Parts: sequence; structure tokens; C-alpha cells
Amino acid sequence: MNGTRRTIWLSAVLGVVAALLAACSSSSTPAPASVAPASVAPASAAAPASVAPASVAPSAAASPSQAASLATPVPSPTLTSAADQWTTSHPFKAAFIYVGAASDAGWTHAHDVGRLAVQSYFGGRVQTLFKENVPEGPQAAQVITQLVNQGANIIFATSYGYQDQLVAAAKQYPNVLFEQATGTEQLTNLAEYYGAGENGDYLSGMAAGAATKNGKIGFVAPFAIPEVIREIDAFTMGARSMNPNATVKVVWTNTWFAPATERQAAESLVADGVDVLADGQDSPTTGQVAEAAGLKWTGYDSDQTSFAPNAWLTATTYNWGPYYINDVAAAMNGTWKTHFYYGGLDDGFVIMAPFGKSVDAATQAAITAKEDAIKAGTFDPFTGPITAQDGSIGVPAGVTLPVYTPTGLSKYSISFFVQGVIGSPKG
Amino acid sequence: MIAIERNLVTPRWQRVALPIVSLVMASIIAGIVLAVSGHDPIGTYQQIYAASFTADGALTATFIYATPLLFTGLGVAIAFRMHVWNIGGEGQLYMGAVGASGVGLLCGGWPLPILIVMMALGGALAGLAWALIPGLLRAYLRTNEILVSLMLNYVAGLFMYYLIYDSTSFWRDLTSSSALVFPQGKNLLPSSDWPGILLGSFTLPFGFVLGAVLAVLLLALFRFTRFGFEMRVMGDSPAAANYAGMRTRRTIVAVMALSGALAGLAGASQIGDFGHVLDPRGLEQAGYGYTGIVVAALAMYNPLAVVIVSILIGALTNAGFALQGPTFPIGLVGTMEGIILFSVLGGEFLGRYRIRFGRAPARAPGLDDEPGAEVAP
Repeated sequence: MNGTRRTIWLSAVLGVVAALLAACSSSSTPAPASVAPASVAPASAAAPASVAPASVAPSAAASPSQAASLATPVPSPTLTSAADQWTTSHPFKAAFIYVGAASDAGWTHAHDVGRLAVQSYFGGRVQTLFKENVPEGPQAAQVITQLVNQGANIIFATSYGYQDQLVAAAKQYPNVLFEQATGTEQLTNLAEYYGAGENGDYLSGMAAGAATKNGKIGFVAPFAIPEVIREIDAFTMGARSMNPNATVKVVWTNTWFAPATERQAAESLVADGVDVLADGQDSPTTGQVAEAAGLKWTGYDSDQTSFAPNAWLTATTYNWGPYYINDVAAAMNGTWKTHFYYGGLDDGFVIMAPFGKSVDAATQAAITAKEDAIKAGTFDPFTGPITAQDGSIGVPAGVTLPVYTPTGLSKYSISFFVQGVIGSPKG
Repeated sequence: MIAIERNLVTPRWQRVALPIVSLVMASIIAGIVLAVSGHDPIGTYQQIYAASFTADGALTATFIYATPLLFTGLGVAIAFRMHVWNIGGEGQLYMGAVGASGVGLLCGGWPLPILIVMMALGGALAGLAWALIPGLLRAYLRTNEILVSLMLNYVAGLFMYYLIYDSTSFWRDLTSSSALVFPQGKNLLPSSDWPGILLGSFTLPFGFVLGAVLAVLLLALFRFTRFGFEMRVMGDSPAAANYAGMRTRRTIVAVMALSGALAGLAGASQIGDFGHVLDPRGLEQAGYGYTGIVVAALAMYNPLAVVIVSILIGALTNAGFALQGPTFPIGLVGTMEGIILFSVLGGEFLGRYRIRFGRAPARAPGLDDEPGAEVAP
């Protein structure tokens, strides 16, 4: 009896150890940290969830068509004689730090499309490097040092959480140029870049508002931070411009990329009776839930039609390529200056993904008209009067919020929900 | 039927030779994978070695990963040695970070030696308190500590997020302009940084020294004290321990508390040595608590071996980031790490046990009396 029991025990322990090995090898790819616990407990209810990330990644990897559809406005900066030192035998090195996997089919994928655009524009005179799944926090410092040691001339860090490490590195390595997406700090060799995703979200919201039949829309949202809050606000205002009674219910996931968690959040919204889903996550999981439930969906970051062809309405996408090409050219020419770039629909940085087949002509025309107004500068979603969730005045009449001011209310510091949002902006 | 049984004798040379043979096997298997996927195995190994130890800043970075793994590995080793399955190191680390950063913020400006002691105590006690929940439940209500400690990891994670993202807590920075854009914790005063020990260009974190000292103390505790003896007996045979009149419950609670305190110290070291701010996402992404289980298993629950293994796993993690890039996909990095870990664990297993086909044999009469050598009851 003891022998059998020992065998059972042994195999149980070995099973746990094997699961831990899997967890460990994914802990050096730490983004889906929430996946690790699930795989630790093969006997617990959490187990099935751990399958989701793997099933998303590979299918997302094979999407060259997205690259093609996003690279529409092609810039053509020219290299001057100042860039002659950069040759195929001595290439300029442009490095990228990704917070997720390059195959996430969302945020990081869009950046990687931009990196590939740089590579193909400059050919052998530029070598692009990247590190994916880099944790935000102290560990990022070493990844930056590794890139500098590998000879990186310019480093693009694509998430807000690297800010402290970037500021430190920019001071430590004055001869390397640094750029950070979505951040706020600027130094002579540290620039900031991002774009008005909220304008695209207003247009997505219009598509969602036109698509909902019961007026209930669900939003799977990553973090209760101003960047996401203003996207939800713009989305809600867009939805209510088409359907004044529409409401947007928000569920927070506290993660950019964790397909299992995103799935749970989306399913909880479906159970709550919404008939249109939206998300601000890095993966297209919400769309897969909508597709399975026969609902409609607006995506984010990339054209994700292929993940949910029937559910697809449209999405805000970011076209990082032209920006990266311009800045790499400036760096090679020696004309790079620090800056705070905030692109938009007008300069092709923000692009609306193609409409899904269920978006009717009248809705498309209304959205396109609004898009033209935003491009022309005659419409900004954050122009008052805007009523806040609790009925108070969010933005007074006649005021348009600035992008960023160190003090006072700006788009970069907005922390209230507008009327029509169900949920708390505190997470 | 297939039976797995313990080898009665484990020659001493085998304990040294096995890991080496396993590593060689791992390099051969990983080399085949590399060659098949179009990479130069030898060049890749040189790159791993350089990125782990010799490149500029590499050794320092290796110890950034090794330090928390040393603490969480020790915490797991001591608990698993007694067959108390504390999977909650992750959450105990979070609580330790909360405790240590709270103390660090409160006592900012105090003399550094006192502050270090306070922060370490704050982290250790917070981790200890968190571990007492599954410990007491296991000892007195016979709950399954694997499930309870695992689930409490999620609770601790959410608590940490609550402090920084969803509340205006003492830990949260509400004043700086960047905190308006993205919620963040308050930074400790720079004078609160734990002093690293500079050896040329290499910085040995203070926490690692502390962890190494604790490893020696733990080994002494295992081998030379009555408490350690009781732990070993209870681990090997709870019935014998009961019969001998040992206080099983008290020892379970004590072991759990010690294990949680060690994981809490990992959190304190994250604050004092490296982060200087409570950063829920960074801690969660790192997953040091779970990796600590692997470290402890590879070290066969021997505290001194945990010191070595934590450095090796730290080096491997660090090298992983150096390797990956456009021509070296992250999946290949994970595959290589998996092959190495699996070979080492598999080698240990094959050395310690033999697989018999056919009729189940009589059970081995004696118990391996070497401490720290148990894998399973």
C-alpha cells in the first residue's frame, strides 16, 4: 500500500514541478504573469484559462496583411550626407522595447509593424533590434543597458511604465537617443510620442452606438488611468451621438495583455446583457467572445477583423511606422531634436480600421463626416459642455481640453467619466 | 505495472556529478534545437555566458534577478522540506513589499542601519502574517494549504493594486505631475536605498548578502537544533512525530511563518535594494514567488544549494533578454530555459529513483537519513 501511495505522491509532485517549469519558462516572458498561477494549479478550476494566451499568439503572428493595410501614408524623409557614416557594414541601430509580445495582435504588434516599416525603408543601413515582454520596473534598466551595449543609437520604449528607467538611462547615456510612447518626461535626448486615440475611439463609439439594439454596450478596459478614461469617455460620447440612450458598462482588468483575464471580463459583460462589446486591451480576446456570442465588437490598436469577422465593426489603430521612419532619419542625419509628438487622424498617425460588413452605409457616412470634421480641426470630442457621470459639469461650454498641461485639467490627466458610463473611474 | 522506487544508496560523487551530466545533456539537446532552427549553438552559448556574467553590467543584472529568487527559494525550501506546501510565496512577497515600503515611507530620513532593520522587519512580518493564514488553517482546521496559499496570492495582488490604483492610500503618489497621468506609488527617499557592495564594476545587492547569511543559519537550524530535528521527523513521518509526542501543529505554523517571512524579505529587498517604490505591475510581471518554487526544487530543498541555484536561474533569466531579438524569437529562449531546467530536474530524479517494470517490489526498509534530500514522502 505504501509503495502505491508513494508512486501517487511522486507523480503528483512531479506534475506540479512540471507545471512550475512551464510557469518558470514563461516567467522570463513575464507579461502574462497572471497565467503562471493558473498553470501552477493543474487540479484547480483555474486551469482551463491558461490555454487562452497560447491559442491567441500563434494565429496572430501570421498577419502580414495588417502591415500592408496600416502603412498607407508613407513618409519619404531623405538621408543627407551627414548620414553617410551609416552603411550596410556599419548600420545605424534602432532598438524597440515592447511591453507585450510582438505577436499580441494589438498594441505591440502595431509597434512591430512600425519597426518592420523602418527596416524596409532604410534597408541594410539600419539594423532594428527589439526586446519583447520586458517587465516595467527595475528590470527594464538592464534591458536598456543591454541594448546600449549592443550599440543601439536610438531606443524606442513603447509603454508608460518604463519612464523612470528611461529618464535614468537618458542621463547615463547622453550619446544615445531615447523616445517613449505615452509618457510625459522630456530631456535633450528623451522625446515623447503618442497620438489622439480618443478621436478614433469617438468614431468607434459611433459605430457601436449605431449597432446596439438594446442600448447596452460593454467595455473591457485595462487600467483606470487618464489615457484609458479619456478613451472610454470619447467612445461613450460617440455612442450617445448615435443613440442618446446608450450606456457603456466598464469592467477593469488591471492588465494590458492577459487573454484569460480579458475573456472573463468580456464574458461577465455578455452575461450582463450587453449586445455590443468594446475593448482597450492589447489582445483581440474580447472580439472572440463577441463572435462566439453573436454580438458586435469594436477593437483597438490593430485591424483585428480576422479574429471576429462577423462581430467586427471598426477600431482605432495606430500607424507608428511613418513616425518611426521620420525620427530614425532625423537621428541618422543628426537633426534629431527632443519633442512631444501627439499625432492624430489628420496626419495619418491614427487610422480607422476598415468597417465590418454589418456597418450600414448611413452609419459609415455619418462616421466619415465626423472623421473629416476632426481632421479639419472643426470638431474635438473634448469640447464643452460635457456632463460628467454624476451630472456635474465635466468640461464647461466653450472650453476644449488641452492635450497635456503639468497642472490643471488636460486630456492627459482626465479622471472623470462622462454621462452614460456605468462603472467607477477609480477601478 | 511501472513502479518508481528510491535508490537505497546515493553515492556522494553522484550528487556532484549528476548536475554536471544533466547540464551537458541539456546543452546537447538545446544545441540540437538551436541547430535545427538555424542558429549557431556554440556562439549562442558564448552569448549566454557573456550576457549572464562577463558583459558590461551583466553580473550586476544577474544578481538583480537572483536576489529575490534566493529569498523565495529559501522560503519554499524550508516549507517543502517539511512537506508543508506553501505555494503562497508570491503573495507573501507582495505583502512584504507593501510592509517594507510602508515602513520605509514612514521612517524616511532615519539613520540607514536602523531603517534597513525596520524595513526588513516590516517586510518579514507582513509576509509572515500573510503566511499564517494558510498555516493556521492547515494546522487547526486541516484545510489544504496548497489551495489556500495559492488563492491568497491573488488576494495579495489585488490588495497591492488597490493601494496604488484604486484608492488614495498612504502608499500612492498623489502629487507629482507624472502621477496624474499614471497612478504610481510614492518613492522612498534616496537616503533609504539599501547599500550595494561595490566590487569593481559589479554591485552585490545588500539583500543577497542578507539572504546568503540566512541560508547558512537555516542550514544550521535544520541540522543542529531540536526544532530542525522535529521538522525533519514530521516531514518524513507525521505518525512517528505524533507518537514521539512532538507538537505537530505548532511546528507547522512555525514553518509556515518562517517561510512567509523569507518571502516577505524578498519583497522588502525589492523595495530597499531595487525599486524604492511599491510597483504592483512590476512585481506581478516578475513572478519571483513562483520561480522560487523551481529554485527550491532544483536545489533539492538544501538552503546552501538555493544560493547557487538562484544565481544560475537569475543568470538564465537575464541572458534570456539579451538573446531575444528579431532573429531569436522569445519562444526559443523559453524552450532553451525549459530544456535546461527539465534536464537538471530529470537528472536528479533518475539519480535518486529507479523505474521498475513488472511486479511492484517490496518497499525499501530504510529512510534516506540525509537532510534536504527528500523529494516526496
